[in-house]
Amino acid sequence: MSLLLAIAKRAGRTLLLLLFAAGGTILLVRFAPGFFSDSREMDAKYAQAARAEIQAENNQQQSAGRIAIQEVKSWFSGDFGQSRQYHVPVAQLIGARVRVSALLLAQGLWRGWLLAICAALPISALRRGALLWRLPFTLLLSIPTAAMATACILADTGGPVLVLTLLIAAREFHFLRRLLEGAWRSPHLLQGRAQGMTSRALVTFHIVPNIAPQLCALTTLSIVTALGALVPIEVIFTVPGVGQLAWSAVMNRDLPVLVAVSLLMACVVGFAGMLTTRTVTLEAAG
Amino acid sequence: MKRIAAALLLLLILGATLVLCTSRYHYAFQDRDAIMAPSTAQHWTGTDELGRDRTVRVAAALLLGLTGAAAAAAVTTLIAALIGLLAAFSPQWAAALLMFVSDAFLTLPWLFLLMMVRSQLPLTAAPLETAVMTFLILAALGWPACARAIYRGALELRSAEWMIQGRASGLKTHQLIRLHILPHLRPLLLPQFLICVPAFLVAEANLGALGLGVGEPIPSWGAMLLELDNSALLARSLWVYLPIVLLAIVLLILEFFTNEVDADA
Repeated sequence: MSLLLAIAKRAGRTLLLLLFAAGGTILLVRFAPGFFSDSREMDAKYAQAARAEIQAENNQQQSAGRIAIQEVKSWFSGDFGQSRQYHVPVAQLIGARVRVSALLLAQGLWRGWLLAICAALPISALRRGALLWRLPFTLLLSIPTAAMATACILADTGGPVLVLTLLIAAREFHFLRRLLEGAWRSPHLLQGRAQGMTSRALVTFHIVPNIAPQLCALTTLSIVTALGALVPIEVIFTVPGVGQLAWSAVMNRDLPVLVAVSLLMACVVGFAGMLTTRTVTLEAAG
Repeated sequence: MKRIAAALLLLLILGATLVLCTSRYHYAFQDRDAIMAPSTAQHWTGTDELGRDRTVRVAAALLLGLTGAAAAAAVTTLIAALIGLLAAFSPQWAAALLMFVSDAFLTLPWLFLLMMVRSQLPLTAAPLETAVMTFLILAALGWPACARAIYRGALELRSAEWMIQGRASGLKTHQLIRLHILPHLRPLLLPQFLICVPAFLVAEANLGALGLGVGEPIPSWGAMLLELDNSALLARSLWVYLPIVLLAIVLLILEFFTNEVDADA
């Protein structure tokens, strides 16, 4: 019962955060310079009075409260409103791109974690020379995503998946290495070693179960990192995904698209966090 | 290791300052007779597509980036310390509200949030204004994770026995914070500040690459990355890669320095 209550509380908090993110986005874009720009105002065939009327009409129709009500209505209707730049329903725009981004995210996360684990496990067990082995990952961490993507294009090697993989691997490697180094030094592991347990047995039966809750928390962090990196990667590699759509929406002050993308990103982060909390709670209970 | 990293960073800063002070070119000066020039005696690392000296521009970008990132990191640490301490010494409902606000900022990925906020501000402002705006945004949006860490640290200190004794001795909350909490939080504040500096440098470079960073002609890491889009320039000179290499070196040094300070703390 207490677990259900904790989950319900967490879900309520996540929902509140989503509303906060949507409200923040609406306010931000509504008060941005250029939000009211209307192509008709540039048209010479309209007289000064007509232009003033257009402006007044826009001001009246686009108060923050009215926009918020329209947005909520469009969520319930399921189309998330009409894109200001593409003039198509936002749901249709995002729907086509979610699959591309999700695939990129899944591949990048999976490969990045695999690379990080494969490197962190042996390096964390080293007593000497670990600094040298850590160097490639530290170097990768020192290169901005945009620079890494540009370098890949210039070298005509790899693509968006490789950049995302390297970024995730570099971030997670450092967290994993610290976790594993702490785990290798714990007294029960030293005793296990002294009793002749193999490294494989130590990792399987002692290290992984001990660090599992932290690994879950790290997964959420990975998702947030990957979502952030999606924007420069998709823009530079011209991948038709959600990141590229978000960039195009912020540059063109396309409010309906921007609110929908913000909600989508907040949903992913919020529910990943919820899942992590739940897993950690269950493991603690177990 | 920490000293070596600090010395290398100082050396780079001194070198950049020396280049800026001794060079006869201004970072915005366009040498129309030497457009996209390779390495010459006048322009050691060549020029860009507008004939501007690359050595001077890279040196200026290094100094601007480090100064801006360090200033933004200082402001963000200060905001985080204020919010963290306020939450730790407030009633429970106020602490919950403050932490909710910080969580709300963390709901969106950092770069996406930065891009969204930056793009909603004027894009056609004066170059210096865009530089200030970019680093101010970094400072204004970088505090939530830091504030959470400081809140946790201050909460632990608040329930320490010596704090209870201090309160029993009649010390007021602001005296307790000034005399006891802040000195104890220093080992937490310094790494938070140091972590923010490279993070802000990277964020500025990423924003610049998306066309939302510091405006031309002020040199910045982001603007230098945009230069790599010019394939004609790439074919002429390998010096085009200098900004990327130097940025990676600076970040690597900062990374080592932060790790060492973190380990000491």
